[in-house]
Amino acid sequence: MSRQVRHLLGTVAVIAALLILPRVIQERYFLHVVVMAGIYSIMTMSWNLLAGYSGQLNLGHAAFFGIGAYTSALVAMKLGVSPWFGLLGGGVIAGFFGFLLGFPSLRLSGPYLAITTIGFAEILRLVAVNWVDLTRGSLGLSGIPLLTPIRVGGLKLEFYFERDYYYVVLAAVLFTYFCMRRFTDSEFGVSLQALRDDEQGAQSIGIHTSQYKLAVFTLSAFFAGIAGGLFAHFARLVSPDTMSLHVTFDTLTMTMIGGLGTTAGPILGAVLLSLLSEWLRTLEDFFKMDIRLVLYGILLILTIRFMHGGLVGVFQGLKERFSGYGRTRNGGADHG
Amino acid sequence: MESLFLQQTLNGLIIGSIYSLIAIGLTMIFGVMKISNFAHGDFAMVGAYTAVFLMAWLPGWMGWVGSVIAAAAVVGILGIVTERLIFRPLLGRWTDIDIIMVSIGLFILLENLAQLFFGATPQMISDPFRGATLGVGGVSTSMLRLFCLGFSCTAIAALQIFLNRSKLGIAIRATSQNRFAAQLMGVDINLIYTLTFWVGAALAGVGGVLYGTTFAVHPLMGAMPTLKAFVVTILGGMGNLRGAIFGGFILGVAESLGGNYLAMEYQHAIGFFIIISVLLLRPRGLFGTREGT
Repeated sequence: MSRQVRHLLGTVAVIAALLILPRVIQERYFLHVVVMAGIYSIMTMSWNLLAGYSGQLNLGHAAFFGIGAYTSALVAMKLGVSPWFGLLGGGVIAGFFGFLLGFPSLRLSGPYLAITTIGFAEILRLVAVNWVDLTRGSLGLSGIPLLTPIRVGGLKLEFYFERDYYYVVLAAVLFTYFCMRRFTDSEFGVSLQALRDDEQGAQSIGIHTSQYKLAVFTLSAFFAGIAGGLFAHFARLVSPDTMSLHVTFDTLTMTMIGGLGTTAGPILGAVLLSLLSEWLRTLEDFFKMDIRLVLYGILLILTIRFMHGGLVGVFQGLKERFSGYGRTRNGGADHG
Repeated sequence: MESLFLQQTLNGLIIGSIYSLIAIGLTMIFGVMKISNFAHGDFAMVGAYTAVFLMAWLPGWMGWVGSVIAAAAVVGILGIVTERLIFRPLLGRWTDIDIIMVSIGLFILLENLAQLFFGATPQMISDPFRGATLGVGGVSTSMLRLFCLGFSCTAIAALQIFLNRSKLGIAIRATSQNRFAAQLMGVDINLIYTLTFWVGAALAGVGGVLYGTTFAVHPLMGAMPTLKAFVVTILGGMGNLRGAIFGGFILGVAESLGGNYLAMEYQHAIGFFIIISVLLLRPRGLFGTREGT
């Protein structure tokens, strides 16, 4: 069997397994966790495009999530338009804000960009807290409508249960994943990596780094906004906490542990850490305390210190060792 | 009207002096080691908790003075340990982005460990002045806050003397300017790294006691001093000590006046507005030099 056929079969098998998962495990709570892991996967993938592939440390990513969530919720609640429209609208508005946040990145990098992006998210969070007429302040928006049924031919798809949302989020995760693959495998992605590794070098070979930075901020924010919109219609409660620093830090931790600058790493990190958190929650009685976030901190520090390419980097290292050869896709292990 | 303005300015100076104290540690560590430590505010949080526990056991003046010393010691040791175990192995190997992320890991870790051990309920550091206030011509403030102002100014002055007069202080400044040249002059860089981190962390610890005296002490309090210290540091130019001192006072007064005259609810965003505009117009900070970045 050739490499490509094997690859195709593998992809089909994974997608098939994901499709039947809710039929195999029907426990609603478990599906809830999986849906949240899916929403986080979109966040980590979009953050990874910025931080992993383009080297732009955006610590305000939660703002895009929040913008998507609020826009999507408000469009459905106040305008009475179909939530599907709002979902897309959330992505577009978040993308617009991403475009705006791209401008500081043209002049700033490292800690300066990190603080500016945090400031951006904090200002928006305070707007969400204080614009009570629109956002109901710290109480948050509740009673956000469910996604409306869609008809495909004679089939009517309704969205009530975790199971239904599972398929929506799965579709969104796969869509995001394939988009990210397209971006990173194309000339666009290669240019981004050139920009990450050596900005002046990239400019000298004719890459318009400013245009690329603005584009990547916009795209990344668009997907984070979609994640926010999905969250709004799934959790049906959006509060200013969606924009807090902790959402960004969770996203960052998941991406780093999965593997920064890899395509599979962000999903792997989001799913593993979400499941791990839930498992630790069941051990709470044993430890008599909630140690999940303590573990996040420890894992993040250890990953950067000892396992720099994340889990994907470890797998790739093992694969190369045993197969003796291997095309090294940059596992994020040696980026500058 | 005028007395309100003076009152707010005084409040701003008091808070600003605490910001300066915390930010100096951050900017020193950045200047010497190029580490942007996002866990710096959590060093302040640990300092504040040290004071809470010590003062519960030893109230009054003895306790307060003891707390400052204990906070400097405890957080100083914490600083040395984190520098050795977490930051030192990364230096020179990874980029500043990785170092920021590892410090975020430390931030998450310290914040949640504090939540586990100390609980989420906010606590107060008791007032050795027993709530006495001092008022002159319409402007009044608690003795405690005034004392905080005096104390942090003294600490800042003492640090300045140390850095400008002592041999070690000069070695720290030399390393900050050019670590290779400093090494050639016989400065033990590793010793300077440890020393800088120790002094920087201890200052954060002392700043934490003052911060906790002015506000409440709780496990999540660290985020605020971290962000404020970064705002101050960027305002003054990262690695620039004098910039951090002025930056702290500027931020404190701007927040206090802005909160009063513009919008109370956006008080904590004022710093971000300022630095975003400063960075867009003058990316090296108000007092930044070309070399400082």
